[in-house]
Amino acid sequence: MKWRKGGPLATVLSWVYVLILAAPLYYLVVSALKTNIEIFTRPFSLPAKWLWENFGTAWETARLGRALLNSVLVSGVAIVLTLLLAIPAAYALARTDNRLSKLITGTFSAGFLIPPFAALIPTVVLAIQTGLFGTREFQMLFLPASALPLSVLLLVQFMLTVPSSLVESASMEGAGHWLLLTRVYVPIAMPGVVSVAILQLLTFWNEYLFALTITGTAPDVRTVQVALPTLVSDATNLGVLAAGTVLTVLPVYVAYSLLNRRMQEALTAGAVKG
Amino acid sequence: MSSSSIRAGTSSRILWLTVPSLVWFAVFSVGPLVAMFVIATLKWKGLLYEPTYIGLGNVTKVFGDPTFHAAVRNSLIQVAIAIPVMIPLAFMLGYHLNTKPRGYRILSVFYFSPGLISISMTGMIFYGVLSPNGGVNGLLSAVGLDSAATAWLADPATALPALIAIDLWRGVGWTAVLFAARLASLDGEVIEAAQMDGAGRFRTMWRIAFPMVKDYVRTLTMLQFLWTLFTSAALVLLLTKGGPGTSSTTLSYLVYAKAFSQRDLGYSQVVGVVLLLVGIAGMFLIRALFRTRKSRTPKEDTR
Repeated sequence: MKWRKGGPLATVLSWVYVLILAAPLYYLVVSALKTNIEIFTRPFSLPAKWLWENFGTAWETARLGRALLNSVLVSGVAIVLTLLLAIPAAYALARTDNRLSKLITGTFSAGFLIPPFAALIPTVVLAIQTGLFGTREFQMLFLPASALPLSVLLLVQFMLTVPSSLVESASMEGAGHWLLLTRVYVPIAMPGVVSVAILQLLTFWNEYLFALTITGTAPDVRTVQVALPTLVSDATNLGVLAAGTVLTVLPVYVAYSLLNRRMQEALTAGAVKG
Repeated sequence: MSSSSIRAGTSSRILWLTVPSLVWFAVFSVGPLVAMFVIATLKWKGLLYEPTYIGLGNVTKVFGDPTFHAAVRNSLIQVAIAIPVMIPLAFMLGYHLNTKPRGYRILSVFYFSPGLISISMTGMIFYGVLSPNGGVNGLLSAVGLDSAATAWLADPATALPALIAIDLWRGVGWTAVLFAARLASLDGEVIEAAQMDGAGRFRTMWRIAFPMVKDYVRTLTMLQFLWTLFTSAALVLLLTKGGPGTSSTTLSYLVYAKAFSQRDLGYSQVVGVVLLLVGIAGMFLIRALFRTRKSRTPKEDTR
């Protein structure tokens, strides 16, 4: 036993925080099955009558089906594009060590620090000028750019683990860059590729402000993140809103429960490489 | 080291492979960032109008505007409370998590989960929790504290604190998981030796473990600082629209609101430049803070 366990205070505090985290989530789930009146009068008790129709109402009012489809489409195309751009770049950076490659790595390191929000308004201007304002296509092109710095840096780390002997013997047999990349580097760096894919898919899926201001709120193109808040009005039905939120958060939690450990690795890797 | 031979043998022509991603990055990230400085010098009433150049005219306007002053104050309050609370708490919880206490898997799933929920979903969850008929008020009335109930997001005294509380709700656990992952990669022998020497739990945590991961703590502090500063616009937009009055208007929200609701792009981008400068200044400050503390710590790691 290397690390001594915490005292009773640490134990209590760590579970108090779990309670603080869990309370809004529990409240969300029980509210999803209640009327506004019951939400207010009996906020934390189980619903007296389980109002399943809240889910149907949310689904139809916010047109969540279409929105989910848009989100899948945007995130899917964006992740493929991200990997197509990042993998060759990472391969090149992992195989060269000179001033130019250091400069490129430095550029991506600096880019990683700049939050995309900083350039939100000029990006909207860019979307208008390219005629892609109000389309999903702009998001598909833009999201990879915001994801590139971290993706490239992470992939380089993984590609540096390729044993040099392997590369030498492959080169000796006449393998060019294409064969080396597809037969040696990508298979060995596969855990990194998977991590980057999971990490960025989650980022793309959850993106909100750019989707709101560039793709917009038109029901046929909007993503699920944009669709859900449209349920808020002067007379919001809190039960329907909660039901919609549950429906929207669910895919991410299902993915998390399936890939629990992998996902945690991917997301921590993303922040560890600072 | 092992890679140096293959690296040296490769000509730098291969770096052409980085060109597509650099171009992509230049067009969609660097370009807009540079354009921000240009737009800041324009009089531009909304995206459908023709802009005219007015130089530093926007700057005078922005710095004379009480709303901007309120936004600066609110942003500073937000980061000055959120970050110093979040980082030490997260470090201690992460340390605790790393000792693998009973039920640590459940702990880590919960701590991790706000990281899965998008900002717009977080907004919707707390819209319900904090609404006048919502969970917090319901809880208060259940324990007989009706008098403390308020419209949390519509009360000037509580709107900004509520937003900061949400920052902490989602940030602490997530950061704790990251600290735990980092601490797990440490050499346990040093910790073990310290414990043998009779160092207490608290002492081991802060005097031994903390200096060993100090660089990482600094990096995460910077990232959380930048995220809190820059991304508050979304939550403010969803929950308070900066109000009531300007009580919850942050710099980041002001950038958004001036461009999209009040149609003054020049103003918006001057605030954007200020935001960027505050971000850079804050990073230097965080760096300096971590450096001074380092010199006082006897057992520092050499880096």
